[in-house]
Amino acid sequence: MTAVAGAGTAVVTRAARSRKGSALQRGRRRLYVPFVAPALVLYAIFLLVPVAATVWISLHKWPGYGAMEWAGVKNYRYMFGDPVFQQAFENTLLLLIGGGVATFAISFGLTMLLRDLAGRSAVRSVIFFPNIVPALVLSILWGFLFQADGLVNKLLRAIGVQHPPAWLSQDHQYAMILLGLVWISTGFYTTVIMAAVDRIPPYLYEDCLLAGANSWQRFRHVTLPLSWDVIGVCSVLWTINSIKTFEFILAMAGSASGLPSTRTWTVSLYAYATAFAADGVPSYGLAAADAIFTLGLVAVLVVLIRRVMRRDAIQF
Amino acid sequence: MSTLTDLLRRPPRPARAGAIQRFLGAPLAWALVAFDLAVLVWILLNSVKSTRELLDAPWSLPKALHWANFGRAWSTGNFGPAAVNSVVLVAGTAAATVLLAAPAGYALSRFGARSAGATTSLFAIGLGVPAQAIFLPLYAVMSHLGLVNSLWGLWLLYTATSMPFAVFFLTGFFRSLPIELEEAAALDGASPLYTFARIMLPVCRSGIVTLVLLNVIGHWGETFFALVFIHDQQLQTLPLAMLGFLQQMQYNGADWGGMFAGIAIVVLPLVGLYLCLGRRIIEGMTLGSDK
Repeated sequence: MTAVAGAGTAVVTRAARSRKGSALQRGRRRLYVPFVAPALVLYAIFLLVPVAATVWISLHKWPGYGAMEWAGVKNYRYMFGDPVFQQAFENTLLLLIGGGVATFAISFGLTMLLRDLAGRSAVRSVIFFPNIVPALVLSILWGFLFQADGLVNKLLRAIGVQHPPAWLSQDHQYAMILLGLVWISTGFYTTVIMAAVDRIPPYLYEDCLLAGANSWQRFRHVTLPLSWDVIGVCSVLWTINSIKTFEFILAMAGSASGLPSTRTWTVSLYAYATAFAADGVPSYGLAAADAIFTLGLVAVLVVLIRRVMRRDAIQF
Repeated sequence: MSTLTDLLRRPPRPARAGAIQRFLGAPLAWALVAFDLAVLVWILLNSVKSTRELLDAPWSLPKALHWANFGRAWSTGNFGPAAVNSVVLVAGTAAATVLLAAPAGYALSRFGARSAGATTSLFAIGLGVPAQAIFLPLYAVMSHLGLVNSLWGLWLLYTATSMPFAVFFLTGFFRSLPIELEEAAALDGASPLYTFARIMLPVCRSGIVTLVLLNVIGHWGETFFALVFIHDQQLQTLPLAMLGFLQQMQYNGADWGGMFAGIAIVVLPLVGLYLCLGRRIIEGMTLGSDK
């Protein structure tokens, strides 16, 4: 609604300011609403309204049908006391921070390694590919590789390791999931960072050479500051994507119940599992509380990252 | 056309690297490439091996071609109907997304309306909303409307959740086109609608193709909404067929030959797409982060 009103005033002032091209402006004014409204309405109905409704649900006890019973903040209180949620939250933070640092370090390393390589675009194409393969497929492959009688263990036995670690046991499973997610994501972030580094004019590096800077100094004083904005955007993308992570963990389950061990849950699995648990009464209120908490976490982190990373744009 | 895309694309200017990078970097990078390629070839080889051979001799070439793997995956594994469902759903979603997002992106970037900036930001906020924050009320309401366990419902859902990225992406794309095109059209007496449909859309074709590619790739493997909203086996999409097959193996014994055939059915179209349009996919997916 605000969009419509805003468009109207904009056009009035514009028309008052100049008579030239007003036919064009009039035509456009007529088209603005029909052009924008369908997308906006669909977006509002399927995203904005449901988010508001999820907040509402999170304040109730509700199995998904029948009457809703007001619960206030009880769902949130229960959730924060629930050891399963605590584990899921810890896992999410581990992925967000640990996985993020690893992915960015590897991506930067690869960018530096690839910088002057012959055939670098071929390399880029290949390492990017896992990124378009459904995470489910990669998860199934990952699980197959690390099974008790899987390929990795066969390889280890062949080179003399008699008792390889139980990769997918409860203790190690989440670490393996993290490793897999880092492997998938590296291609994407390497490509993005590479594109940013490519834009840095070569003469800056030539200056560095003349001044006798070593490779760490070149990285610290040229590469890093000039790709800073892109790193900021990448951090936001990583935050959003890692909190959405779902199918990679789901398919690691491999158990008949369809859900993986709670030791590997993240906040997104917690929301799914509490709403559609195979056993017990579905608890929409709890799932909604988890979802809203997650959404708040994303919002806070994105604002924080933008603030921390903000600085004056460097023109080059 | 070609000059326009050339303008939009910055030529790569590789900087000079040190000797360490050259001698240490090259082998490392190529090792990673070799690993990724090996995984792909290994999937394809495994898809025609018997399960026993696959587990006992994972590194060898298949002794005989077990095309029956594909037959089993296609029929008993339900990959066949799922592939049809996925193709229809993904194509329908991409078409509807472009149909709605292209006019919106154009109007938001070009009409100079005062609310355009705020509306664009509103769409951008949607990029950060995870699926779990919207699925509960949608499930409750859509089940009343008969849209749960229906491909139509999933199609609506996919189209609607595509809006944030699609509008955001196309707004940026239209903004990068030269304004002279529209001015020339207006001087020639073209109406805004005509200008949009006959001049801007064709000029913007490469952006729309990229959007379609990203949309298709994203929904080809979409699991969360599919898992929540589809229950019947005959309505399954490919990710659900994969999960179903994985669970079947718990009861019927491991059939990794069939599983790999199913994986090949999912991955091969993507490989084909990537071979033809790989550069465009990479540029599209990384475009937004360069700005």
